[in-house]
Amino acid sequence: MSSDPDKMMSKADKMTKLTLTRWSADWRGATELYEQAANGFRASNKYEKAKVALEKASKGQEVQASPWDAAKHMESAAALAQKLSIWNEVADFYRKASELYTECGRAQPASDALGKAARALEDVKPDDAIQLYTDACEILEEDGRDQMAFDLYRACANVYIKLEKFTDAATFFLRLGVAADKCDATNSQCKAYLSAIIVYLYAHDLKQAEKCYNDCSQIDAFLKSDQSRSASRLLTAYNEGDIEEIKKVASSSTVSNLDHSIIKLARKLPTGDVTAIQMNANDDLDEDDLT
Amino acid sequence: MTVIDLLTRVDSICKKYDKYDVDKQREANISGDDAFARFYGDFETQIETALEKAELVTKEKNRAAAVAMNAEIRRTKGRLAEEVPKLQRLAVKKVKGLTTEELAARNDLVLALPARIEAIPDGTPGGPKNTSAWAPSTTSRPDIKFDSDGRFDDDYFQESHESSQFRQEYEMRKIKQEQGLDMISEGLDALKNMASDMNEELDRQVPLMDEIDTKVDRATSDLKNTNVRLKDTVNQLRSSRNFCIDIVLLCIVLGIAAYLYNVLK
Repeated sequence: MSSDPDKMMSKADKMTKLTLTRWSADWRGATELYEQAANGFRASNKYEKAKVALEKASKGQEVQASPWDAAKHMESAAALAQKLSIWNEVADFYRKASELYTECGRAQPASDALGKAARALEDVKPDDAIQLYTDACEILEEDGRDQMAFDLYRACANVYIKLEKFTDAATFFLRLGVAADKCDATNSQCKAYLSAIIVYLYAHDLKQAEKCYNDCSQIDAFLKSDQSRSASRLLTAYNEGDIEEIKKVASSSTVSNLDHSIIKLARKLPTGDVTAIQMNANDDLDEDDLT
Repeated sequence: MTVIDLLTRVDSICKKYDKYDVDKQREANISGDDAFARFYGDFETQIETALEKAELVTKEKNRAAAVAMNAEIRRTKGRLAEEVPKLQRLAVKKVKGLTTEELAARNDLVLALPARIEAIPDGTPGGPKNTSAWAPSTTSRPDIKFDSDGRFDDDYFQESHESSQFRQEYEMRKIKQEQGLDMISEGLDALKNMASDMNEELDRQVPLMDEIDTKVDRATSDLKNTNVRLKDTVNQLRSSRNFCIDIVLLCIVLGIAAYLYNVLK
């Protein structure tokens, strides 16, 4: 075979085009040529052409009814697109790859593909990234492999935190808790609930945080854990306006075992509204006294 | 015979005939007859040992050991104080071979004993002074409780120097211990977290391992099948009959080619 990838590409293209002399496309040979061309392009750092070659190779594999190889090629194409920073193609390719994996009946690689896509798009298109993360989590949950979904949930919540959408982040932590509950992963579950409470507190939402704490206390595993004790200490400190206590809890080892972004939030915690909350509480008492 | 041998022989002979040594026997007999002297000798030795121990205590740096030794000295003192009356009774008894002056002397010795026992230092400071100061307050204590408030202060401050030092040291050690315990608890928290994460990770790996198991089983059975088939095929190919036929046919072809070559030349 000629070592020039361009020639291989053109030859392969000719093999797939239907003309008078060729009544059925020779996909097998074409796919081989495409793969070789892609390798050649990659070696010579012509990523754009390599990407195109991989796309076509993937299509060839798909036609040959081998979705696994097709999906693999799609993933490589997507990785190259990532290097070239063509973001919508990245998302498309990874989605296609994920669909092909699901066709094979392999949920784990499917969600892995979506996860990779989301990670690539985190900085650039966070909304798309969130969508991809959610889809990936759904795929895993359908397959019953909730434990793999933990990391994805955490990453998704981190993206929300970066976007400062705190209620969404807290919702995701609660979903993590549900998934952990299904697998009896109590440590992750308790950590997820504590993270949710901290996120609510950071968003100045004391009522929501307390409600969250009460809801989570219904769960035995959380009630008996270190994390719930830290949460209750934090909430009482907030109610009393005791900044020292808040700082102490935030730097305790229970909080330091959570994710980095949550630790950062916790360190910043008394976000200036503590005294206001305290005054509100006092106001209520005064009203009662007067009446 | 060497000098050493001589010496040992002389020693053994002396030991054998000790019972005929009049002077020695008299001495022993005196002690044997005189219970008082024996008892008194015992007492003396005990007081001596207590005094030695007291000296050691002053040199002792480790406070816990010092306290323990002081407690032992106090116990010895208590025991000796109990036995003083017994000794007194023995002192008054008449023993043969004793003069009246010696008897009186014995009585005095016994009377001096309690003072000597008290004088042994056992860690409580200012013993004699306290007894003189306390004497009036102990008598009046049952009547009036707060009578010696002033005296309380004096004694109080006198005692507090050592005890405040002790308390300071105690507080410092307690703080150090708390710091150490804090560090240990932090380390344990980290360990606990890591251990539970490891636990969850292993739980995650279990179904994956099962999958690997089934896949590998399938692969091994496929391989076995393929191996058997390959073996059969190779055996077929290698059967010598086919080989000979191949060689013969090859020779025939070469022969025909040579013939044609010759004909055409």
